[in-house]
Amino acid sequence: MKDVIDVMELQREKSRRLVTVDYRQLDFKGGFTPARFIFECGMKLNGQPLTLATAAVIVHRFFKEVDHNSYDWFLIAASSLYLASKIKDDPLNIRDIINVAHNTLHRGSSPLEIGDEYWNMRDAIVQAELLIMRVLKFEANTVHPHKYMLHYLKSMESWLGKNTLESVPIAKLSSAFLQDFHHDPAVLDYQPQHIAISCISLALQCYGVQLPLIDDLDDEAWYSVFVKDLQKDKHWEIMEKIMEVYNREEGN
Amino acid sequence: MENKLKRYEKIAFLGEGQFATVFKARDVETENIVAVKKIKLGSRVEAQDGINRTALREIKLLQELHHENLIGLLDVFGHMSNVSLVFDFMDTDLEVVIKDNTIILTTANIKSYTLQTLKGLEYLHLNWILHRDLKPNNLLVNDKGVLKIGDFGLAKMFGSPNRVNTHQVVTRWYRAPELLFGAKQYGTCIDIWAVGCILAELLLRVPLFPGESDLDQLTKIFDVFGNPTEENWPGIKTLSDFIDFKPLPAIPLKSIFTAAGDDLLELISSMLVLNPMARKTCRECLKMPFFSNKPAPTIGSKLPLPQNIRKVADIERQSLKRKLLDAAEGGSLSKRLFI
Repeated sequence: MKDVIDVMELQREKSRRLVTVDYRQLDFKGGFTPARFIFECGMKLNGQPLTLATAAVIVHRFFKEVDHNSYDWFLIAASSLYLASKIKDDPLNIRDIINVAHNTLHRGSSPLEIGDEYWNMRDAIVQAELLIMRVLKFEANTVHPHKYMLHYLKSMESWLGKNTLESVPIAKLSSAFLQDFHHDPAVLDYQPQHIAISCISLALQCYGVQLPLIDDLDDEAWYSVFVKDLQKDKHWEIMEKIMEVYNREEGN
Repeated sequence: MENKLKRYEKIAFLGEGQFATVFKARDVETENIVAVKKIKLGSRVEAQDGINRTALREIKLLQELHHENLIGLLDVFGHMSNVSLVFDFMDTDLEVVIKDNTIILTTANIKSYTLQTLKGLEYLHLNWILHRDLKPNNLLVNDKGVLKIGDFGLAKMFGSPNRVNTHQVVTRWYRAPELLFGAKQYGTCIDIWAVGCILAELLLRVPLFPGESDLDQLTKIFDVFGNPTEENWPGIKTLSDFIDFKPLPAIPLKSIFTAAGDDLLELISSMLVLNPMARKTCRECLKMPFFSNKPAPTIGSKLPLPQNIRKVADIERQSLKRKLLDAAEGGSLSKRLFI
């Protein structure tokens, strides 16, 4: 029986590791909670990464303008997801959004019947969408760090050598940092190019990858070939902010 | 919001479509005449889907596009549960110009309209956007003879290789053969085909391929160009809706456009190529001899326009009651004369 995989045990382990958050018990945490809600719902809905990033940016921009105590964060989050799916031409069904959002808030509940509660939620999401657009002054476009990151990584492919890039998941980790950084409204405060560089930097450091032909003591930063206007302290500041995101998950 | 409502003083009702009502208005801050497109939220059932996707596309794309030959989105504002878009005011469109028998379109005039269209479209394509609904009705013209491409309700970013698009775009008469064969991945060449059809229509004063169904559309196209083969269009048989036609011979363009010069025929035959890959781009078209040869394109103020428009411009601000050709926005709007 040695080679038999104990499926039950695996599942037990898995469920032990998975922390299911009860969103209704959480604080606003400077926007972390609604953003996390977006990413959880968005992934269940199979939304594109850029759609989820757009939704997170919308939520952060919205709560920058208004007092978060005056609105239901989860309604705004669900509505942002719906709006982002329209902006990014990545259609998400409103009924799916409602069901997923409802189930994520009330874990284990069954899908909503088409009844008053459903129609009220649908109405609320649609009204909130309009409100969000007006609060954002109808500026629907976001410049994402993603596209910069893609091209930086692509250029680094020949710099680092294919072997290093294939053995060390730099691209994957950078993308993970970038996505997770969207939990923090600080993502709005920096230039997309700078965020992209900082995510890659952090990934390189995590794996201890040394860039060839760059001297450690060299005053010039490795990224100066990509961006000219990123100061060292700014670079550190962004990397610290990215790491801080991971402290917010538990408790405060 | 209140000041936005006051900022635009309604002058006249221009038209009503499925999704929007358009008004002519005066911007009190700048004294400019503008077109205000009020998006209808419509019945409760429609409202349940929220902000109209078409309107959102226009907002999203036009906010970032600024070109002399593209309609300008000047402002967006919301009031109650409405969204209103403020555009440059345009007096007429190419459909009206083409249908107006009193207007004579010389080679110089045609050159000017085509040049302006291609310049706007080149800018659009350079910004990775497909218009996907080019037709005379969406090429708007103002009283200064400036042509602007309008109605971005179907426009879309392109270039992402894993993105599947719908082939149900572009009004049928201007739809490229690859779309009619069901292509799900396509590029700027579909807009070029449409411009080719519009250019032909400027010459003929009737649509070149007025198909009554998708099949009839293909038949009309192949009646002129002959039917495509694997030789002149490699890979055509892989398109999902491909069907074989009985062999048709191509006929020379000269026999259709009897009045056109050789340089103009050369331009048309570079745009209307069955194989999308062989169609020229906007930039390549703009470099063709037609645009540098004589006669020079007519300057804006000399371009022929429907009679009432220049007259209206002369008596501007004298009276609010006047005949206006409904031309402001979009193909979906019904055309009406309004007194």
